[in-house]
Amino acid sequence: MSGFKRDWSGNAKRRDGPKPAPKQVVRNAYTPMFESLRNELDEHHDRRERIVKASRDITALSKKMVRKIESKLPANIQSEVDSRLAEIAKLLATLAPEIQGINRYRYARSLMCLEELVEALTFAHYLKTQTLISHAELDPIIEDLARQGAAPEDEVMADANDTAGTAEKPAAPPPTAADAHTVSLTQDDYLYGVFDLTGEMMRFATTSTALSGTMAGGQAAVGEDEPRTIVQDMHELGTFFEMLPVGSGNRFQWEKKLEVTRQSVQKVERLGYDRIIRGSERPKGWIPDLSSGDQGQDEELE
Amino acid sequence: MAPPMIDPALFDQLKSKIEEDSSIRKELDQILDDLNQHVSFTQGLQSRIHSTPRTKYATLLSQLEGGIQKEIETIGKLSAFASQYPYYKYNHKWTRMVQEAISTVILCAWLGGMSTDSKPGELGRLLTLEDIGQTFNVPVNLKDRDAFHITIEEYLLGLIAVIDDLSRLAVNSVTLGDTAMAVQISGFIKDLHAGFQVLNLKNDILRKRVDSIKYAVKKVEDVVYDLSLRNLIPTQAAQ
Repeated sequence: MSGFKRDWSGNAKRRDGPKPAPKQVVRNAYTPMFESLRNELDEHHDRRERIVKASRDITALSKKMVRKIESKLPANIQSEVDSRLAEIAKLLATLAPEIQGINRYRYARSLMCLEELVEALTFAHYLKTQTLISHAELDPIIEDLARQGAAPEDEVMADANDTAGTAEKPAAPPPTAADAHTVSLTQDDYLYGVFDLTGEMMRFATTSTALSGTMAGGQAAVGEDEPRTIVQDMHELGTFFEMLPVGSGNRFQWEKKLEVTRQSVQKVERLGYDRIIRGSERPKGWIPDLSSGDQGQDEELE
Repeated sequence: MAPPMIDPALFDQLKSKIEEDSSIRKELDQILDDLNQHVSFTQGLQSRIHSTPRTKYATLLSQLEGGIQKEIETIGKLSAFASQYPYYKYNHKWTRMVQEAISTVILCAWLGGMSTDSKPGELGRLLTLEDIGQTFNVPVNLKDRDAFHITIEEYLLGLIAVIDDLSRLAVNSVTLGDTAMAVQISGFIKDLHAGFQVLNLKNDILRKRVDSIKYAVKKVEDVVYDLSLRNLIPTQAAQ
């Protein structure tokens, strides 16, 4: 609950009420100039506030989604994911007109929600296909989401089923006119979302191994003895980030995320080792103790 | 064959994008190095106003305009280069330097320089955001397209730096025997202070800097107080 302010005599001030009359300032030669600048700045502040608010909501929904798709996507979970996606779609649609053209990067820092959304969508994609979705594949999915959010209610639910994180299907035909505002992903949104994906995969590896007693992985492909497991996938993701050049714009954030990724990779490594060494001794449901030794910061660093 | 976890093409694509970004930043850094040099030189020159009596402003002002001309050229280069990319992606790299360049121009004009055909230079003239845009030959407060421009925040922050410098000049002009200057600066700063009160500020850098104006106001008020106490304020008739 948000609080409210009280005036001098103790009566609650209404937020949505009319603004108090502007302070009477002494007018001079420069006042008109400052007044016009004020109006311009207010426009910017208001827009940023709206963006921040929508961004928070999308972040919260994305996080909830990540918690949910952390299993093999049975029907009940799929439907919950879909309803969250539909909510996100609506928020994205309200956001879209605010972040067109020059304003896309202006408010980039207020749009952390896109990272979280990328995390959720890449994770869903991984669970279904065991591959990393590319930026180019993800872009149309998010654009479609924004478009559906703008579409009438009943269509949204139907369309959400089509796009719930898969790229194999051809993207749903855009239901609205081509000039509708969409939300575009920046390179950084994508990369940092994938960074967060490694943390989520680590968590998934831990719980699924504990519950099933086997390392999560796909079907053995023709000509291979063993199916690829999540340990190998984590190694590949780790190498992927180690080999990428550091973006010079935000070196600090990059290093921090990379360090967290390294820790996640090592946790999953350790899990693979434990399973080989003591796999047969372990009772079903046993969870390896990962709390000592190589642990560092929580991967939820924001 | 099952598809690999990561498509190799994806890596190459991201790598080349990041490298492209780095080279853009390097090129920007070179332009900004140049701009930094010109701005520092002009600022250094400008600090001479604190020891120059008003009668000798003309020479100093023409020197200042020379320095500013270099700034204008470099900002032209910056504008041409930066306009190829999303403005706010790299804006943080140059915003500080552009603010300082704006300050040098505002101060030079206030001292009576930067005269144009339509607007002759006179002491106490305040350049508006639009004037600054014309001086640098770049757009201001651009909203309908994504290209280099000067923002409102940059103009206001530049103006605040000028207020600081003028409050220092008020003290030094008294030392040089020019009490009328101190009184004029006092009036100007107070007017601007009132102007800044009109803005609705959020908790950001602009608010922090605007809050510092009151110290400049106090500084010049103290000077004017000292003058009035000793009956040193020139009367209207004497001016």
